[in-house]
Amino acid sequence: MSNLEIGIYSFPALLLLIFLRVPIGLAMFVTGFFGFYLVMGSTRLPLAQLKDLTYSTFSNYSLSIVPMFLLMGYFATLGGMSKALFKAAEGWLGHRKGGVAMAAIGACAGFGAICGSSLATAATMSRVALPELKRYGYEGGFSTATLAAGGTLGILIPPSVVLVIYAILTEQNIAKLFLAAFVPGLLAALGYMIAVSIYVRVNPKSAGVRPPIPMTERVRALIDVWPVLLVFIAVVGGIYGGIFTPTEGAAVGALGTGLIALLNGGLTWRTLLDSFADTARSSAMIFFIVFGAAFYNLFLARTRVPQELSNWVVELGLAPITVLAVILVIYLLLGCFMDSLSMILLTVPIFFPVVMALDFGLSPEHTAIWFGILVLIVVEVGLITPPVGMNLFVINAMDPDTPMVQTYRAVLYYVASDLVRVVLLVAFPAITLFLLPG
Amino acid sequence: MAGLHRFVLGITRMMALLGGIVLTALILITCLSILGRAANTALHSDLVMGAMPGLAQALIDLGVGAIRGSYELVEAGMAFCIFAFLPFCQVTAGHASVDVFTNMLPRGANRVLEAVISVLFAVALVTVAVQLYEGTTRKMSSGQTSLLLEFPIWWAYMASLVGAVLAAAAGVYMALLRLFEATTGRIFAPNAVGAKH
Repeated sequence: MSNLEIGIYSFPALLLLIFLRVPIGLAMFVTGFFGFYLVMGSTRLPLAQLKDLTYSTFSNYSLSIVPMFLLMGYFATLGGMSKALFKAAEGWLGHRKGGVAMAAIGACAGFGAICGSSLATAATMSRVALPELKRYGYEGGFSTATLAAGGTLGILIPPSVVLVIYAILTEQNIAKLFLAAFVPGLLAALGYMIAVSIYVRVNPKSAGVRPPIPMTERVRALIDVWPVLLVFIAVVGGIYGGIFTPTEGAAVGALGTGLIALLNGGLTWRTLLDSFADTARSSAMIFFIVFGAAFYNLFLARTRVPQELSNWVVELGLAPITVLAVILVIYLLLGCFMDSLSMILLTVPIFFPVVMALDFGLSPEHTAIWFGILVLIVVEVGLITPPVGMNLFVINAMDPDTPMVQTYRAVLYYVASDLVRVVLLVAFPAITLFLLPG
Repeated sequence: MAGLHRFVLGITRMMALLGGIVLTALILITCLSILGRAANTALHSDLVMGAMPGLAQALIDLGVGAIRGSYELVEAGMAFCIFAFLPFCQVTAGHASVDVFTNMLPRGANRVLEAVISVLFAVALVTVAVQLYEGTTRKMSSGQTSLLLEFPIWWAYMASLVGAVLAAAAGVYMALLRLFEATTGRIFAPNAVGAKH
């Protein structure tokens, strides 16, 4: 077997392991190890790689954003920021048709601006918004679907853990990627609100009516959102203003939200330790996948599969947009059963060279950033695609009265909104790129 | 048996909390460094240098500025944190996996699969720990130091090794536990589920 063949056959082997429920990081590590062994004829090289690879992966300066952002998300919840956001959004939107659901989307978008993880956003906002939605007579499946979709805004709107990983894999500037994600993220929130208003018109019984509240109360609720705004401006402004690196920004954000939670009384010894434990679990999971992927990709690079694949695709002579469409569809399919981070780590090293070898009429950097945002969106769609979108499960589990099928039915409106947005962003790269300098 | 499991959970949770404390320290160091850097820039500005050159220079000489090598501290500390987090993730089955297809298999088959996977994981984690140990001894003999703070790199490796060894032990423990569960049909630890992220 040639090295190239070994590389190619490693894909089905890896997928088989993953489908057999082998943890994804472990599956990539094992496949990479055996692949290395087959290519080199001995275990000496893969073992030698391991002497430094774990340490160098876990000590990667850019990656240290991840635990800091995770901790920041937990602190933000403890600091009552999710509640303040929802109250403000509800005050301004709640009296409209489907307004409480729109408010949930808006609050998710706001929380997404201080939280880099989508499940955390969905779970946090659900605790606040689900009871309110129920109180105003919103249908169960519609409510859970709304929050599952709203949760994806946690990752679409920067800061975003997935974008950090993409930036590291493709050696792109994290700050520029965050900037590029901004408008598509806002478009996502807008698209979801439109989906809400279509849903309540098609299903008029799905939402109750809530009387408007006085202007003074609305303004007061809006003012209560100041901690979120403060943290967001400090972190994002600091990163874009060149005052600090993204990792330093994450540290500032974690400290800021921690202090606010402390002042609000949400942060106690007990909750602090719980936040540590949750951060530990999520970080270890993420870093182990990153490590497995790094090892697998070392092996893959040695088989020259990524270069050969991109040469092959270029020689096919297909229109670049066709290739891109195929790649995005593959992501949508994979997203039905795999989590976003694993998908990115598994596929970006293979697809990225292919995309970069094609001519979209953009500079290499712009192509890389544009592709990153597109990938970010399609992998997030996977989180809410029936039957196994992870957000759907988490949120549905929080509302035992609602059958899963009801959630499935309602979430299709949001999936449709996502697909429309992907088409828009593919057709008009400028939506993603116009904020970028140069 | 349940008592043993509680004990293991307790130990690994302690290690994770230690990692959390180090993470907090790294966050504080980073923020202090930013403050110092900002203060240093302000002290060097024409305005401050013109108004009170003596005081400004004195403060700069005192070391008001970015913390030297804070990047290196973050890197070394973060490696320690992640290795310290791993054992807890291991015993709480926190690793992400795809269970859509295996859910169709009968329960017994899933038990066996779980046991096989956990043995594989144990082998992998032991390999990782042994190789990290090799890496540590190599850094020790090479005497390589960090760029700015010039601390020996093997210190950082050694700190990480503590977590790596505990993770390997946790991996072996989980493998034994799953084998025990598969043979007796009793359950002590919850099965792996789609992890949070």
